[in-house]
Formats: sequence, structure tokens, C-alpha cells
Amino acid sequence: MQAANRRKTIGLLAGMGLLTGIVVYAALTYFGSSGVAIVPVAVGIALIGVWGSYYGSDKLVLTMTGAKEIQESDNPKLFGLVQEVCIASGLKLPKIAIVVDSAPNAFATGRNPEHALIAFTTGILDVMERDELQGVIAHEMSHVANRDTLVSAVAATTAGAIAILSDVLTRMMWFGGARRNRDSNSNPLLIVFSLLILVLAPIAAVLLKSAISRKRESLADATAVSFTRNPAGLRAALEVLARDSTVVQQRSTSVAHIWIESPLDSSSVSKLFSTHPPIQERIAALRAMESLG
Amino acid sequence: MKTLIVLGILALIVLFFIAQYNKLIRLNIAVNEAWAQIEVQLKRRSDLIPNLVETVKGYATHEKTTFDAVITARAKATTASTVADVAAADGMLTQALRGLLAVAEAYPDLKASANFLSLQEELSTTENKVAFSRQFYNDNVRSLNTAVKTVPTNLFSGIAKVSTREFYEVEDPQSRQAPNVKF
Repeated sequence: MQAANRRKTIGLLAGMGLLTGIVVYAALTYFGSSGVAIVPVAVGIALIGVWGSYYGSDKLVLTMTGAKEIQESDNPKLFGLVQEVCIASGLKLPKIAIVVDSAPNAFATGRNPEHALIAFTTGILDVMERDELQGVIAHEMSHVANRDTLVSAVAATTAGAIAILSDVLTRMMWFGGARRNRDSNSNPLLIVFSLLILVLAPIAAVLLKSAISRKRESLADATAVSFTRNPAGLRAALEVLARDSTVVQQRSTSVAHIWIESPLDSSSVSKLFSTHPPIQERIAALRAMESLG
Repeated sequence: MKTLIVLGILALIVLFFIAQYNKLIRLNIAVNEAWAQIEVQLKRRSDLIPNLVETVKGYATHEKTTFDAVITARAKATTASTVADVAAADGMLTQALRGLLAVAEAYPDLKASANFLSLQEELSTTENKVAFSRQFYNDNVRSLNTAVKTVPTNLFSGIAKVSTREFYEVEDPQSRQAPNVKF
């Protein structure tokens, strides 16, 4: 199951690359050579974005979510739980942070397992039992072990780059850039088609980004169980999250994908655009593991 | 040209040998590290016991047999050295500690004391750490043993002086129970 999930993620990332290629091709078809100049600019912006998210993601996320790092003496119980999962997984002890928010939630960030950080809201620490919290920590440490924090940063910046590229090209279309080349590229069907691609590509990129994130959530659940060998703990934790209706106060969409439970109100986001698989599906998958084990 | 090809092939073979050798050494080191982790966690648990026994004694004076069982098991655990001995002593101590916590259930004052509560939390996290380090050790032993017994790595186990290792198996009546299967 984990191998299949990993393959799908690679497929989705490849889809991202293909989409970028199609956008570039469409741009070149539409504008001829004058569109070429924009490509290195967009690629450059994307690279800076990836580089920035690689080195600064943990600090940026801390600022955006208002999480504060804590020491062992602040919460020995939480540290004990995280150490348990680290021993089970053989991972290094991450930094631990707290977000003061009554909504139960948690997230992981950091560019690699050596620079990981996991954060919990005060709400999740209050409502969850020992086993449930252990399941949540195992889920977050799975994101660290599977390098999801890196993959999602790359996916987000690629989606962003496609959006910028397509936006700039669409503008150029209205402001004369296209007129010069219209004679040399006389096939109207091809032009309409390119135009369609430029408009639709950003939407497709967002869809792909959500799909990558959703695959990663299911994979992290499975990896978490391989650490704790206790699907019941994480299942109970997800049930607590499913029952709970409060959502994390800051609802910025750009950091929505890092939380264990989506902070966005689920009724306003359709399943296709959602960064998380429905919590009931995840609970059912964990129940299936329990009956096996 | 021919000599270059021959040299190239030789270099590839040497690289292949080195890779197999290093894989065995790496797996062996991983098992050693996992074993060290078990010892660290067992030591931690052992250090917790005197404090725990004293605290329970303060409230439950008439439970001498339970205290003795814990103290004997702890003494055995500190002298054990081979994997099988350590595992057996670990199982005994786990049982004895369970008995001690069961005794504590009968004393509401004890159960409510802040000292006992923090000791209990520390004991449960340490028990989990022991269990997880055991699990991590066994996973590493499994990888090592597979490598030692399968082609091509098995050809190098002699040169690398790496052999199969013993699994850490705990005699725990609770985990030996047949799982409840419902259809």
C-alpha cells in the first residue's frame, strides 16, 4: 500500500512537470519566439520559491501559524510521547512547538528529518488521551520520515509558478505581444487551443497540488501505524477530530495542507480541491488495519 | 582500448564488493545501536523503580509480596547480559510492575497523589519506550539476518565478520494470548 502510494505521488509530481511543459509549449505556439523570454523568468521565480521554502519553511510556518517552540521542562509528558515515536521510528527528536488555539490540530514542517519541527495546538493536548496523541505524533513524524514537508513545498511552488507564468502570458496577450506574431502563426484552431491551455493550466495545477497532499495524508496514516503498530490510537484521534467542529482560527489557504485536519471549513471546499482526504475515509482505512492486526 | 574495458569491468566488480561489505557492516551497526537504545531504556526504567516502590509503600504498607517481586525482578534485570537473559528479566519486571500498579488501584489516596501520578506517567512512557526500542531492534535484526542469509550479501558475511543476531523475545502472557477473531 505504501509503495503504491509513493508511486502515485511520483506520478502526480511528473504530472506537474508535464503541465509546466504544456504551458511553455502553448506559450511558444501562441507568441512565437517573443514568448520565450518569459520562461526563464518564471522558472527563476519557481526556483527561488523552492529554495526559500527549502531553507526557511520552518521559520515561515512558525510565523504564519503563531507557533512557539517549547523545551522539555515545559511539557515533559508531550516530550515523552514524542521520544517514544522517535525510538519506534529511529528518527531524530524534532523541535516541538505549541500553538495557543482551542481547536485540536497538529502539523509537521522542516526541510529534512534533521531539521524537523512538529507543532500542536493547546486544544489537541487538552482533548486527547495518551494513545490518541501518540497516534497523532506518529502521523506527524511520518510526514517528516516521508519528506512530505519538502514534497508539498515543491508542489506548492510549482503550482505557484504555473499560475504566475500563465497569468503573465495572458496579460501579454491583451497588450500587443501577440499581434506581431499572429501572421506567422496562422492556424486559428491552434491559437484557441493554446489560449484554453493557458487559462485552464493554473486550475489543473491547484487540483494536482491538492491530490499530492491527499495521497500524502493517507500514506502518513499508514506509516504512523508501522511505527506504533497501533491503528486504534490514530483512529480514535481522527474520530475525536471528526466530532470536533471548531477550526483553527487562522484560515490562510497557503498553510492549510500542513495541518493533520484541514483548518478550512469542509462545506465550503469541494472534495476535488480539498487538501485532505475525508476524515471518514481515513478512519475506515485504519479500521481495516485493526481487523488485520 | 581492451585494457580500459577490462579495467572498467574490474572497477565495477570491486565497487560491487565494497557495496555488499558496507551494507553488512551498516546493518550490524544499526543492530548495535538499537541494542544500546534498549539498554538505555531498561536502565531508565530500573532507575524509576526505587522511587515508585517507596511512594506506593507510603500508602500500601501490607503489600510485601508485590514489593519483593518488583525488587527481585529489578535485581535480575541488572545482572542479565545475553539477549535472551535480558529479555527474560525484562518480561518478569514488566509483569511485576503491572502487579504493583494493580495494587495501587486499591488505594484512592495513593492514586490521587501528585507524586504517584507523575511517576505513573513517567513509567508508562518508559514502558512504551522499552517496547518501541525492542520493536526497532527486532526490525533491524530481521534486516541483518535476511542479508546474512541471502545472495549476494551472504558471500561477504565471513569477510565482514557479521553473523545473524538473536531476536529480542519477551515472555509476556498478555501478548501471547490468541487474538480475538470475529467474523
